[in-house]
Formats: sequence, structure tokens, C-alpha cells
Amino acid sequence: MRRVLTITLALAFLATVPVFAGGDAVEYGDGVTIEQAVAMETLLASPDDYLGKTIRVDGVITGVCKKRGCWMQVTDPDTGNGVRIKVEDGVIVFPYEAMGKKGSAEGVFEAITLTPKQVEARAAQKAAEHDHAEGESCDKTDPKQEGAGCDAPVQQNRIFMIKGTGAVIQS
Amino acid sequence: MKWRKLIIATHRDVGYFFAGLTVIYAISGIAVNHIEDWNPNYVIRTESVRVEELPTGGNAVLAATVLERMGIAEEPESVVRMAPDQLKIFLHQRTLTVALPAGEVQDEHARRRYAFFEVNYLHLNHGKGFWTWFADLYAVGLIVLACTGIFIITGKKGLGGRGRWLLIAGLAIPIVYLVLVVWF
Repeated sequence: MRRVLTITLALAFLATVPVFAGGDAVEYGDGVTIEQAVAMETLLASPDDYLGKTIRVDGVITGVCKKRGCWMQVTDPDTGNGVRIKVEDGVIVFPYEAMGKKGSAEGVFEAITLTPKQVEARAAQKAAEHDHAEGESCDKTDPKQEGAGCDAPVQQNRIFMIKGTGAVIQS
Repeated sequence: MKWRKLIIATHRDVGYFFAGLTVIYAISGIAVNHIEDWNPNYVIRTESVRVEELPTGGNAVLAATVLERMGIAEEPESVVRMAPDQLKIFLHQRTLTVALPAGEVQDEHARRRYAFFEVNYLHLNHGKGFWTWFADLYAVGLIVLACTGIFIITGKKGLGGRGRWLLIAGLAIPIVYLVLVVWF
């Protein structure tokens, strides 16, 4: 009886440790199920075509929330275009060690509309602060570089991000 | 009397089993309770370094130039052109953010905070899966400890005496806090 219990517990433990997505990749949340990623340039050039849709993005992880791991920034290394993947605190926790790794993320593409005051405050904050309290440092956003930078910039008073359901990060 | 023996035995054995985990969770609890004041999981240190003005060029060439000038032999994991005037070079536990073409480098080192990362990992259930169930079991264990603990001591210092008032006081504090802060 004791042996059966021990073996059962061991198998249960092995079956539920962090899922390795094959090779050197680690899966977070529901992982990535969509075969084809949307190119970052395409996404940010025509964001309205993707709003409310579940999409996948691939890129290099250029930012991770330092304290809670509740977001990460996925950036196209060739263009610098990137988007933030935001997850619920505690449900998925992105490790800071993911910085610089290649990753894929999946979730619903959303837009947050800012008031004019918020737009102004955001621009002032980015200009004045080099580091954000919670995350990776962001460069100043040049209005001409729409889509560039470590944060998807404000476009027509909207911030775009992906409400993430899963990710796969290469180790 | 049988009940009493059972209560004491249960409290003793559950107490021993979960003693270590209680200390782990308590340390983590204090650590993350002050998350506004410090980073409980990582030690992140940033230095500013200036290398000479950088030439124009591709990401790989620029990164190689920066690394050479900084005396870093490590191969980068990734190099990303974040913007026309910013390059990020990702090394193991280190990120170089380079302002182009000036050559100002923000050199960020990050490592796990020893022991705290691990206790927080358990307490906050970062791993999910098996640990979710074991943490639930621990929660049940704490309830058992609380419910058995109040019956262990009898007499003046037990529930019949001082113990009763301590129990009420311990419950009153969170209730009063909720009344003041949440309910009204």
C-alpha cells in the first residue's frame, strides 16, 4: 500500500512539474497553439485588423517586469517593433532570466484608450525617467518611430498590448 | 479524553510536518509584503559606462565593437535594435543598453536573490502544477493546527481563561481593520 502510494505521488509530481515544450523551451500558461505568428510590423501597422483577436507573436524578449513577472516585451530584433504581453499577476510569472531569449506569446490583442491628459503625462514620464519602477528601462519614444521601442507607443491615443494566455520561451 | 489525545497528537504531527514550510512561507510573506520597497526576487544593479563614439553599422558589428571596448569576451545571446538610436545587447544575466552613436551604455546586472527567490517561488506558487495541490494541503494543515491548538491547553491559560481573550483579540484586529478600511 505504502509503495503504491509513493509511486502514485511520484508520478503525480512528475506529471505536473513545469511543462517543457520540447527541446530547450519552457512553456508558460496555456503555451502557444497558433501555428503562424503575426509579424510585428504588420501588427503595429494595421492594429485595428487584429483588435479582439487571439494572435501569436514571435521575437526576442527585451523587457520583463522585474518584481512580479506580470508582463514581458516581445520585440522583432530586426525592426525594433515590439508589443507588451500582459498577464494576470500570479497566474503566469515570466522570469527575469527570459531577457534576451527568443520567445513566442499568444493572447488577445487589445487597445487601451488614453485621455489627452494621460498621453501628456506618459510622454513627460518617458522623457524624465530612464527606468520604470516595475520594469525594464524604455527609450524615449520618437513620434516618427511608431512601433519602435521597448513599449508599444501611443498611437492615436491608444496603447496596444496582448492579454497573454500563454508563452513559450527558449532557454 | 480520547479526543484530547487525538487533538494533541494531530497538532504535534501536523506541526512537525509543516514547521519548515511555515518558516519558508513566513520569510517569503515578509519579503513580498514589502515589494514596494525592494525587489524580493532579483538583485538588479545598473552602472553607466561610456565607450567611445560608435560608428554606423549593423547590429552585430556594433555589438562586437561595444563588447570589445568593454572587455567582454562573452558571446551575446541576442542583439536587438530597439530604435535607430538604441541597441540592446543581451548577455547571461546582463543587459547592455547602448545609446547610439554617443556610446553611453547602461550596464544592468541581474541575478536571483539567494534563498528569497526560492522561498517566493514556493509561496507565490510560480511553478503551478503539483505545488498548487501541496500548497492547498498546507493550507488545510494550518487550519488543522489552528483548530487543534486552541484546545491543547486547559484551565486558566486555555480557552476557559486567558486563551479566550487572546483568541478574540486576534480575530478582532482583522475585523476592525476591515470595518474601518473596507466596509465603511
